Amino acid sequence: MAEYKLLLKHSDKPEFRTFSGYVANGGYEGLKKAVEMERQGVIDEVKASGLRGRGGAGFPSWIKWNGLPKEKKAPHYVLCNADEGEPGTFKDKMLMETCPFQLIEGMTIAGYAVQAEKGFIYIRGEFIDAAKSLRRAIDEAYANGYLGKNVLGKGFDFDLYLHLGAGSYECGEESALMSSLMGERGMPRLKFPHAPLPTVSGVWEKPTLINNVETYSCAPHIVARGGEWYASLGASTKNSRGTKIFSVSGHVNNPGNFEIEFGTPLKELLAMAGGVKGGALKACIPGGSSMPIITAEEVDRAIIGYEEMQEVKSMVGSGGCMFFNEHTDIVMLAWRTALFYANESCGKCTPCREGTKWMLQILERIIEGKGKPGDIDLLKDVAGQIEGRSFCALGDAAAWPVQGMIRQFRHEFEYYIEHGKSMVTSERAMALRP
Amino acid sequence: MSELLQIGSPNERPRPPKADELNLKFSDQAVKELEGLKTHYPTLKACILPALWIAQREYGGFLSGEAIAEVAHRLKRSYAEVEGVATFYTMYNSVHKPGKHKIEVCTCLSCHFNGAFRIRDYVTAKLGIRHGETTEDGMFMLEEVECLNACDRAPLLQVGDKYHGPVDEAYIDNLLEDLRNREESTVVQMADQIVQCHLETSERVGKVLD
Repeated sequence: MAEYKLLLKHSDKPEFRTFSGYVANGGYEGLKKAVEMERQGVIDEVKASGLRGRGGAGFPSWIKWNGLPKEKKAPHYVLCNADEGEPGTFKDKMLMETCPFQLIEGMTIAGYAVQAEKGFIYIRGEFIDAAKSLRRAIDEAYANGYLGKNVLGKGFDFDLYLHLGAGSYECGEESALMSSLMGERGMPRLKFPHAPLPTVSGVWEKPTLINNVETYSCAPHIVARGGEWYASLGASTKNSRGTKIFSVSGHVNNPGNFEIEFGTPLKELLAMAGGVKGGALKACIPGGSSMPIITAEEVDRAIIGYEEMQEVKSMVGSGGCMFFNEHTDIVMLAWRTALFYANESCGKCTPCREGTKWMLQILERIIEGKGKPGDIDLLKDVAGQIEGRSFCALGDAAAWPVQGMIRQFRHEFEYYIEHGKSMVTSERAMALRP
Repeated sequence: MSELLQIGSPNERPRPPKADELNLKFSDQAVKELEGLKTHYPTLKACILPALWIAQREYGGFLSGEAIAEVAHRLKRSYAEVEGVATFYTMYNSVHKPGKHKIEVCTCLSCHFNGAFRIRDYVTAKLGIRHGETTEDGMFMLEEVECLNACDRAPLLQVGDKYHGPVDEAYIDNLLEDLRNREESTVVQMADQIVQCHLETSERVGKVLD
């Protein structure tokens, strides 16, 4: 299988970032078709497509779209989660920079389908280039009557605003994103079943549809070419439909974004990225830093799909696929991952705030050569006490990679503790140490 | 070792000004921009984040006690609430006054295993500053940051609104020389560009730069 470019088909054309270039390349066909349909018809197409959320969790998108009240009693909002922060992922950045109108069209279709008149794109503050690209595109869309009052003369209003974050991984969590958009510290809020779903009471306690950049970007294609057509992509998998963009980085010759059909073997993704550089393949984190690590042998047999990846005890996640060569010290990798989560934990709940710092301290003493017997079990114990007990999924995301690395490479941790130094001693590996 | 978790301490918070010392410094442009922003959201509170970006530009890149007090005053929120928001997010400079340029070296996974700590140590050696410090001439501030999400360009660093990567020692030499004489990619300009990206055509006073 080769790359299957649907969302990224025109990403290399500079004119695709302009209104005229977008329309000339088939843009806005989806929206034009959508506004002629019943609102429910649009949602039914999304249902037929089998589209699942591309932000990491893989939740069926149509359930969210269908969840907003059909009889509108208060303003509805459409939010786009563009706070891409998962280490290893850079697909949303590229989609926003090179295909801004695709996202805008997708959100406008969503706005029509769920009767929202306002949409917000929450972009992380560092993504200035993406924000500028979207800003220009939104300005052009307004000027051409594709946003604002009476979109396409069909009597439906849709305003789209950009909102930039200011540096917080936690704001990529949907309830924390809403807190941040409302002007608070980016901390998660009570969730279902303890509080209503965002589709009933989301941002400003109004019905809210929130999806990832890539998810919205699929909508124009689903509506224009039909949900059934979209569902024919990835049909070899159990329940993953369409295409997925993978951001491949780490020790590969040709890092970048690659769009593939679900059902593609993981090793082909590695081949697309030019294979491993600097030595033999050792390990791979297939779906962003939160996902459990897999070994080279598992890379060989892994098939990309939400259910299929579970056979190697990992997940598709956000698609941030990092490959590591033989000079990679897994204990160091675990330490750097733990540092990330300790640094980004928002501090709201105790298991995550304290647990991530404990894991970091234990790993820090191991890489300083001061590890103690029993540290591995202690790490597993702490990780186990975070998992499933934190307020939001950041806690799980901090526990899984450490648990996964211990499960797959326990001998490296044991060697490090016993000898006070890493078992990966090549010159290349030593040069990477902080 | 990484110094990421070691920045600022509670003792170093700027003091809030007393109520009768409030000295509003927003320019006419900033006031107009804030008025535009208020129409985007159903509440004034939601303007806190963008208003802090305006303040970061108006106060020369640093959210001092005065800057936070002005945002609180203009949005009718308490000082404590706005300070709480300002200190939560890493891109607001609420602890130290930053240098003219902020050099943010990513040391997260892909960058780490492509030599990011060597890059960080090189910048430290060359400029004599560590994580969170500013050079004596006020030109550069160094920060070690988490994933900038351009891992295909590892090892990567960000200066103001521009990403640079993959970088090596020679690239950094040229970049630092170049930045000394440049008015772009400054901390202030980045804040301005973020503000401009928020605004609709009719509300915009400044420009969205290329």
